[in-house]
Amino acid sequence: MAVLMDHLISWMIAVPFLGIATLAFIRDEEWIRRVAFGATMVELALSLLLWGNFDFTRQGMQFVERVEWMPTFNIQYAVGVDGISILLVLLTTLLCPLCVLCSWTAVATRVRAFMSLILLVEGAMMVVFTALDLFLFFMLWEITMIPMYFMIILWGGPGRIAAGLKFALYSLTGSLLMLVGILGLYLEGGYTYDLLVLSEQTYSSTTQFWLFLAFFLAFAIKMPMVPFHTWLPDAHSEAPTAGSVILAGVLLKMGGYGFLRFCLPIFPDASEQFAPFILWLSVLAIVYGGYMALAQSDLKKLVAYSSISHMGFVTLGIFVFNSQGIQGAILQMFNHGVTTGALFMAVGQLYDRTHSRSIQDYGGLHKPMPRFVALFCLFSVASFGLPGTCNFIGEFLVLVGTSSDSFVKVLLAMGGIVLAASYMLWMLQRVVLGQARTPVVSRLPDLNWRETATMIPLVVIVLWVGLYPAPFLNVMDASVSALIQHTTGGHSAAQLALGP
Amino acid sequence: MALFVLIPLLPLCASVLLVLGGRWWGEYGHRIGIPAIWLSFGLSVLAFLEVLNNGPFSLSLYRFFQSGSLVVDINLFVDQLTVLLLLLVTGVSGIVHVYSSRYMIGDPGYNRFCAVIALFTFSMVLLVMSGNLLMLLISWEVMGLCSYLLISHWSQRTAACRAATKAFLVNAVADVGFSFGIILTFVTFGTLDIQTILAQAEGMQDHTINMMGWLGWDLQIQPLTLIPLLFFIGAMGKSAQIPFHVWLPYAMEAPTPVSALIHAATMVNAGPFLLVRLSPLIVLSPIAMTVIAIVGATTALFAGLVSLTQSDIKKILAYSTISQIGFMIMACGLGAFVVAIFHLLAHGCYKAFFFLSTGNTLQSVQSARGHGETHPASRGMWPLYGGAFLLACLPPFILFSGPYEALWSVTGFPSATIGFWIMGLVTVFVTSIYLFRSVTSLFVHAPRTYWTTTGQPALEERPVQPQFVDGSILGGLFLATILLGWTLTLFWRWFAGFLAPAVISPGASLGGGGAEAGSLIWIAMTLGVAFAGWVVAFSMHLRSRREGTASGRKKTWLYVLFWNKFYFDEIYDAYVVTPTIQLAHWLWRVIDMRLIDRAIHSIASSSVLFARWLWKIVDIKGIDRLVVGIGQQSVGLSRWLWQVVGVGWLEQKAEQEGSQADVAGPFLEEAEVRTIQHQLLVMILWLVLATGTLYLLV
Repeated sequence: MAVLMDHLISWMIAVPFLGIATLAFIRDEEWIRRVAFGATMVELALSLLLWGNFDFTRQGMQFVERVEWMPTFNIQYAVGVDGISILLVLLTTLLCPLCVLCSWTAVATRVRAFMSLILLVEGAMMVVFTALDLFLFFMLWEITMIPMYFMIILWGGPGRIAAGLKFALYSLTGSLLMLVGILGLYLEGGYTYDLLVLSEQTYSSTTQFWLFLAFFLAFAIKMPMVPFHTWLPDAHSEAPTAGSVILAGVLLKMGGYGFLRFCLPIFPDASEQFAPFILWLSVLAIVYGGYMALAQSDLKKLVAYSSISHMGFVTLGIFVFNSQGIQGAILQMFNHGVTTGALFMAVGQLYDRTHSRSIQDYGGLHKPMPRFVALFCLFSVASFGLPGTCNFIGEFLVLVGTSSDSFVKVLLAMGGIVLAASYMLWMLQRVVLGQARTPVVSRLPDLNWRETATMIPLVVIVLWVGLYPAPFLNVMDASVSALIQHTTGGHSAAQLALGP
Repeated sequence: MALFVLIPLLPLCASVLLVLGGRWWGEYGHRIGIPAIWLSFGLSVLAFLEVLNNGPFSLSLYRFFQSGSLVVDINLFVDQLTVLLLLLVTGVSGIVHVYSSRYMIGDPGYNRFCAVIALFTFSMVLLVMSGNLLMLLISWEVMGLCSYLLISHWSQRTAACRAATKAFLVNAVADVGFSFGIILTFVTFGTLDIQTILAQAEGMQDHTINMMGWLGWDLQIQPLTLIPLLFFIGAMGKSAQIPFHVWLPYAMEAPTPVSALIHAATMVNAGPFLLVRLSPLIVLSPIAMTVIAIVGATTALFAGLVSLTQSDIKKILAYSTISQIGFMIMACGLGAFVVAIFHLLAHGCYKAFFFLSTGNTLQSVQSARGHGETHPASRGMWPLYGGAFLLACLPPFILFSGPYEALWSVTGFPSATIGFWIMGLVTVFVTSIYLFRSVTSLFVHAPRTYWTTTGQPALEERPVQPQFVDGSILGGLFLATILLGWTLTLFWRWFAGFLAPAVISPGASLGGGGAEAGSLIWIAMTLGVAFAGWVVAFSMHLRSRREGTASGRKKTWLYVLFWNKFYFDEIYDAYVVTPTIQLAHWLWRVIDMRLIDRAIHSIASSSVLFARWLWKIVDIKGIDRLVVGIGQQSVGLSRWLWQVVGVGWLEQKAEQEGSQADVAGPFLEEAEVRTIQHQLLVMILWLVLATGTLYLLV
C-alpha cells in the first residue's frame, strides 16, 4: 500500500502506458476493448483515491515526487497536484473510460491502435496536469497532439486530412512559441526548469512582457481564444466521437490550466498588464462563439463553436484575479468537459445511427428515442447554463468575479448566455421536436444499455455540481487563494510598464 | 419544523420517481403525483397554522457553496406571504393534477406530463420558499424549463415547438436583468440572503457605485435604484409584462391543464411575488416604483384592449391574464402590496376554474360535433354554464368590494397619481367587457364563430377522450373559488393585518383606515364602471348577432391594430430575431471563413511556396550540386590518390561513394515535396524567426 500511496501520481502516469503495452499482446478485438476499458477504470479508481487522500486545507503541491532526469540541464521528473490540477486530473480520468465505451462499436477498424491512442492521450494528460518541471510539461504537451492528429486522420470524416493538418499546424505553432518561452525562461530564471523555483523569482518587466506573450499565444491557440479558433470546428467535426470528447473535454483545458499554472504565478506583472486586453478578447469569444454557433447547420460544429464561447468564460474568470473568478473558471473547465463531452457523445450516437451530422436530417426524435432525447435535452440546457445544472455555477461565479472589473463585460457575457440559449433551443427544436424529416429517422432505435451507461455518470455529475457544488469549490479554495495572493501581492515589487 | 421541508420535496420526489420509472408506471403516473401534491397541500395548511400562531420561521438545509466572500446557504424561509402562496400553488396544482389524470389519459407522453407538472409545482413551491436570491433564480429558471417542456408537450405540432422556444427565449432575455440584479445585489450588500438584504436596505440609500470605472469615467449610480429595476425586468419576463408579454398567448399551445397551472398558480405569479417579497427594497426607490406602476398600468390596459378583439377563447384568456397581472404589478408600483397579493390569490382561483372549464367545454364541443349534434350546449354543460357565468360576476365583485378601497385610497405615495386611477378604471371597464363577451360567446351562443383548435390535438391522435365534464372536480374548485372569494372579501381587514409583517406598508392608511367615507365613492365608481362595461358588451354582442357578421367593425384601423396585438410579434421577428440570425451567418461567412481561415490558408500556402523555392534554390542548386561536386571531387581525389598511393580498395570505395551520390541527387528530386520535409522546414523557419525576433527584442 505504501508503494502505491507514495508514488500515486507515478502510478497514475504508468497505468495507461502499461495498458498500451498489454494491448500489444492481445489479438481478440473484444478483449482489446475490455483491457482498455479496464486500464481506464483502474486509472479512475486511482484518481478517486487521490481525491480521497487530498488535503483540502493545505496550500501548495501534494503527492510530490522528484527524481533527477537529465542533471546536466537541471531537468527533473517532478510531479504533484494541488487544488487547481486535481479537478482536471479527475476530469481526464472520468472521460477516458467513457471514450472507450462510446467507441466500443463505433470504431470497427484498427481497434488496437485506437485504444492505444486513447490510453496514450490519457497518460500524457496525466503528466501535463501534474508536471512541476517545464521541460517534462512541454514534452508531454507535444505528445498529446500526436494521438489526436492520428485519431482525426485515420478514423475521421471526409475532410479529415485537411482538418488534421490544420490542427497539427496550429498546435505546432503554439508549442514552438511556448518552447521559445520555456528556453527564455530557462536562461532568465537561473538555468532551471523547476516550476516552483521559477515562480518564486522576479523578472524584469520587459522579460515578463515577451515571455508572457510567447506562453499566452501558445495557450490561447490551445484554448482556443478568438481569433485563433478556426482549427477547432474543423478538428471537432472531422474527429471520431471519442476524439471530439477528448479534444473538447480534456485537451482544451490545457490552455486554461497553462494560464493558471504558468502565466499567473511566473509573470504576475505582465498578467495584470495584459489582463484588460485578454478580458475583452474573452468577452468577444463568448459573444462571437455564440453568434457562430447560431449560424451552424452541422451538429458537431455547433457544439464546437459553443465550446469557444464557454472557454471565453474560463479566460474571463482567470484574468479578473479574484477568488470567485478563478474558482468559477476552474469549475467551468470541469463543467465544460462534462457537458460538452456529453453533447459530443450524444451527437456521436446519432451519427452512428444515421451517418449524418446535419441538423436538417433529423427532427421528431422524441418519438423513436425518448431516452436519448431526455439525456440530450438535459445536456443541452446544462450547456447553456440553466440554473440547477453545473455550468450555471461556473458561469455565475465568473460573472460575480467579473463584476469587480466592469459591469459592461458582465452584461455582454450574459448576452452570450442568451445567445447560447437560443442556439441550443433552436437546435433542440429542429432535432428533437417536430416531425421526423425522413422515414429512417422515425424508426431509429433508442439507446442501448452501453450507450445509456456512458451517459449516466455525466448526468450525475451535471446535477451534483449544479445542486451541491461546495465539495468541488472547497477542494480548490486553498490553492486558489494562494495563487491570487502570489499574483496580486507582487505588483508592488515591479513597476508596470507598457512594453519595452 | 423540519417536516416542512417535505412541501417542496414531495413534488420533487414524485417527479424523479416518474422520470426514473418511465414506462413502468403505465397509465398510472397520476397515482404518484396526486398524493404527493395533496400531502404537500396538507403540509402547507400546517405551515399556515404554524405561521399564524408563531410567526415566520426559516429552515437551514445545507451550505450551497462558499467562494471568497460569496457564501450561499440553502435555506427555506416561510412567512405570511409564503404560506398564502403555498396554499394557492399546492391547492391549484393538486386540482390540476386530478384534472389532468382524466384529461390527459391516453396521451403517449402521459407519465412525462405528470412528471413535468410535478416538477413545475416543485419549482414554484421552492420559489416562494427561497431564503436567498440564488435559490430563487434557480427555481425561477427550472420553472422556465418546465414551461418549455410542457408547451412543447405535443411536439409533433410545429406551432407548439415554436411557442416553447419563444417562451423560453423571451424569459432568457428578461432573466439577464434578473441575474444582473443578483450580481449587483451581491456587489452592494455582500450577501444574497434576502432577509439580510431587506434589513440592510434602509441604510444603503446613499450608497453609490461607479458603473463606468473601467473606462476611467465617473458615473455614479445608486444601486438601490438600479437593483429593483433589474429585478423588475426579470419579473416582466415571467409575468408577461410589456414588452416581454409575447410568449404567454403562444403558451396556449400547451395542454389546457398546463395553461391553468401557468396562468393561475405558478409562473406568471412569480413576478408580483418577487416584487412583494422585495418590497422593503423597492419602496426605497421612487423611480423604480414609478416605472413599475407605469409598466403595470400600460400592460393592463393594452392587454385588455387586445383581448377585446381576439376570436380565440384561449387567446382571450391569455390576454386577460396579462391584463390582470399588469393590474397586480401596478398595485405593487403604487405601494399597495397587500392588494397585489389579494388580487393574485383571487385571480389564481378564478383563472384556474376558467381554464379547466374551458378545456372541458372545448372537448365536449368536439365530441358533440363528432356525434353529429348541432348544438353543443348538451345536458352535461349546464352546470358549467351556470358556474362560468357566476364566475364572470365574481371577479369584479372580489376585485372591487374589498381590497381596492386600499388601492384607491393610497395617496401618500409619489407615483400614485390620478392618471393611474383613470387607467385602472378603464382597465376595469375593458375587463368586464371581454369577460362578458367570452363567457356568453362560449356558453350561450353557438360556438362556431369562436371555435378554434388552439391547444387541442387532432382527434385521431388521442385515442381516449373524456366524454363528459368531470363535474366533481370542477364543482370542488368552484366551491373553493366562491368560498375563498367570500372569505377573502369578508376578512379583508384580517388579511391585510395578517400579511402586514411580510410586506412594507408605505401608506399609513393601508388596511387600517380603509373604511373612510371617501373610499366608498371609489368602490361605487369601480362597480359602476364595471357595470357599464357589461352593458356595452351586451349591446355590442347583441348588435353583432343581429348583423350576422363582424366585418363592418374590422375595417377600422384601430381594430386591426388591436386584432394584430400591436404587431409586437412581427416587430420582434423583423427587428430582433431575423437580424440576429443574419448577423450570425454574415459573421461566420465573412470573419471566420473569409478573414481568419483565408489568412491562415495564405500563410500556409505561402510557406509551402517559400519552401518550394528554398528547395529549388538551396537543395537542388546548392546542396545537391555540392554533394555531387564533393562526390566527383572525391572521386578525382581518390583517383589521384590511387595514382599517387596506389591503394586498390580505396579506389573501389571512392567509386562506390561517388555513384551513390549520383543516385541520391535524382532520388531527392523525386521525393514527395509536401510531406514531412516541408513541414520540418516550415517549423525550423518559424523557430529561427521567432528566436531571432526574441533575441533582437530582449
